[in-house]
Amino acid sequence: MLESLRARLLLWYTSILVLVILAFGGAVCYLFWRSMLTGLDEDLRQQAQAIAGALRPGAADTFDLDLPEELMRSFQGDSRQYYVIWNAGGDLVDRSDPDVDVPVLEAAVSRSRTGVREVTVRAGGGATVLVGQETSELRRDVWVLGGTVAGAAVVALGLSLVGGWFLARRALAPIVRISRTAKAMSQGDLSARIAIDRTETELGQVALALNQAFDRLHDSLDRQRRFTADASHELRTPLSTLSLVVEWALARDRGAAEYRETLDTCQRAATRMRAVIEGLLTLARADAGEPVLRRVPVSLDQVAHEVVTLLRPLAERRKVDLTVSGAGAEVAGDPDLLRDVVTNLVSNAIHYNREEGRVEIAVWKEEPSACLQVADTGIGISSEDLPRVFERFYRADKARARDAGGAGLGLAVTRWIVESHGGQITCTSEVGVGTRFLVRLPLKAVAGPVQP
Amino acid sequence: MRLLVVEDEVDLARTLRKALEEEQFAVDVALDGDEALFQMTEISYDAIILDLMLPRRDGWSLLHALRQAGKRTPVLILTARDAVEERVRALDLGADDYLLKPFALTELLARVRALIRRASGDPSPTVMLGDVTIDTAARRVSRGENAIDLTAREYAVLELLARRRGTLVTRTMIWEHIYDEAEEHLSNAVDVHVSALRRKLGHDLILTRRGQGYIIDA
Repeated sequence: MLESLRARLLLWYTSILVLVILAFGGAVCYLFWRSMLTGLDEDLRQQAQAIAGALRPGAADTFDLDLPEELMRSFQGDSRQYYVIWNAGGDLVDRSDPDVDVPVLEAAVSRSRTGVREVTVRAGGGATVLVGQETSELRRDVWVLGGTVAGAAVVALGLSLVGGWFLARRALAPIVRISRTAKAMSQGDLSARIAIDRTETELGQVALALNQAFDRLHDSLDRQRRFTADASHELRTPLSTLSLVVEWALARDRGAAEYRETLDTCQRAATRMRAVIEGLLTLARADAGEPVLRRVPVSLDQVAHEVVTLLRPLAERRKVDLTVSGAGAEVAGDPDLLRDVVTNLVSNAIHYNREEGRVEIAVWKEEPSACLQVADTGIGISSEDLPRVFERFYRADKARARDAGGAGLGLAVTRWIVESHGGQITCTSEVGVGTRFLVRLPLKAVAGPVQP
Repeated sequence: MRLLVVEDEVDLARTLRKALEEEQFAVDVALDGDEALFQMTEISYDAIILDLMLPRRDGWSLLHALRQAGKRTPVLILTARDAVEERVRALDLGADDYLLKPFALTELLARVRALIRRASGDPSPTVMLGDVTIDTAARRVSRGENAIDLTAREYAVLELLARRRGTLVTRTMIWEHIYDEAEEHLSNAVDVHVSALRRKLGHDLILTRRGQGYIIDA
């Protein structure tokens, strides 16, 4: 029971409440008692003064007492008041009742003895007048007060316990909800989210933050699942071509030409699979956060020219015009990877183009970046596909890229390369008009290259 | 029997065509969804082999369109995607069977034959026509005890008529089911095949309906 936050909360503040009530009640009772006593003392003193006034010293240590009628009466019956008078030597001079037996008390003090309160005053002739009163009634009054306070305290306690229990439950219910949802989430229900009433409260903020974390987790797990599904699909297709063509070739005796054709098909399939696997490995490395890469001076325009030379035959085959322009953009990075970036962009531009189309590559310097742009007059990318174009395995036109030998990984890898060089890549496009990819990389600092 | 292969992976499509033609099928190939839709609606195939991931129009939407058009052609799905929901969706949309890539060629052939059998309402791989027995799995014909030699085309004509026994088959239908779109054929080629069949299997097997076509009696 004590483990429960609710129970502990309740226990704590109930204990404090009890203490406060007891302290308060105790103080009230004490103050009441003291004020009663003070009143009583005053009363008794007045009586004593009256008696002292009525006392006249006689001859040889004797006294005459001439008490008025009402004064006399206050000591009679069941008044519980009494008086005692001593002379200077402490001998009894007079008392209100023969039963009264009081130890001597010096003058001008007040004292309490068991069940009584006594006050003395000095009187003429060295006598001491003492007036006392039984305090049983007074005591009873105080007890009644105390009892009332205690009773009220119990009621208050009861109410606060009950009320507190419900209040605590209401206040802590969100925590229970949060922990339940978190447990569901960790046990595999990826869609579990905390229902939030209000986000301004502290718990609301916690719930909001947790929901966002769950969303991110769900997203990344989804992406992983898609990735694995896509990857296996991408590998299965060339694999099935391979196994099919081999099975066909072995089904009966064939001529050399057919065997050669079969082997060509096998090679193409193997190349496809290699491309997919390499792309996957690169991305896996990217995911593992492996640090980059060589950093040597690389001239972007030189890389662009190399790529154009490499891809010109392809462009000619597809009747696409390929131009490159610009100069003076030097960056620090890995020349092979950067060449891969340009190759990927340019070959996409060629493949997704129309006949008699154009591909224009431009390189320039725009402080603090080096810019490279590949623009084509191709089929374009729709606005729904555009944000997803850098996703792994995403292909806007599902099988076109297969002819290009790609597996949909090209742009994802390209983006990773650009970003690990500290740059960024953006894409704009219009369906039927063309597409433009812009790569920005930090210009190489004037100080020499940084060796790894 | 005439098949349509819908597959965008060129090497795979080409290999399938070669393999199926060796099994005496007439094969047309469509490399994208739009082309496939056109072919499917124009021609009555005996079976369609359909890849789900296609450019321009994916396999599911093709299936849907095919069934909406009321075509009862049996469809075998080929897919590399092993997500159950995708196959279920295809089957629910009207596909008859599926095969995961990579697959064994022999299995593909057997499943295609099974689909065609089922579509013709005769689940047995062996067809008996009087004293003529056709083993459609092995593609062998025998008359009584003797095995009969038929050319590929002759066998195809015979199987077609046998599968549609009791119904009239026009010459046009025979053309469509024996030849693929790339082949040229002589207008009397069908008659030539039918005469050969009569010679080899008996003159009572295939009846002529003048001006209309041929029929094997049930």
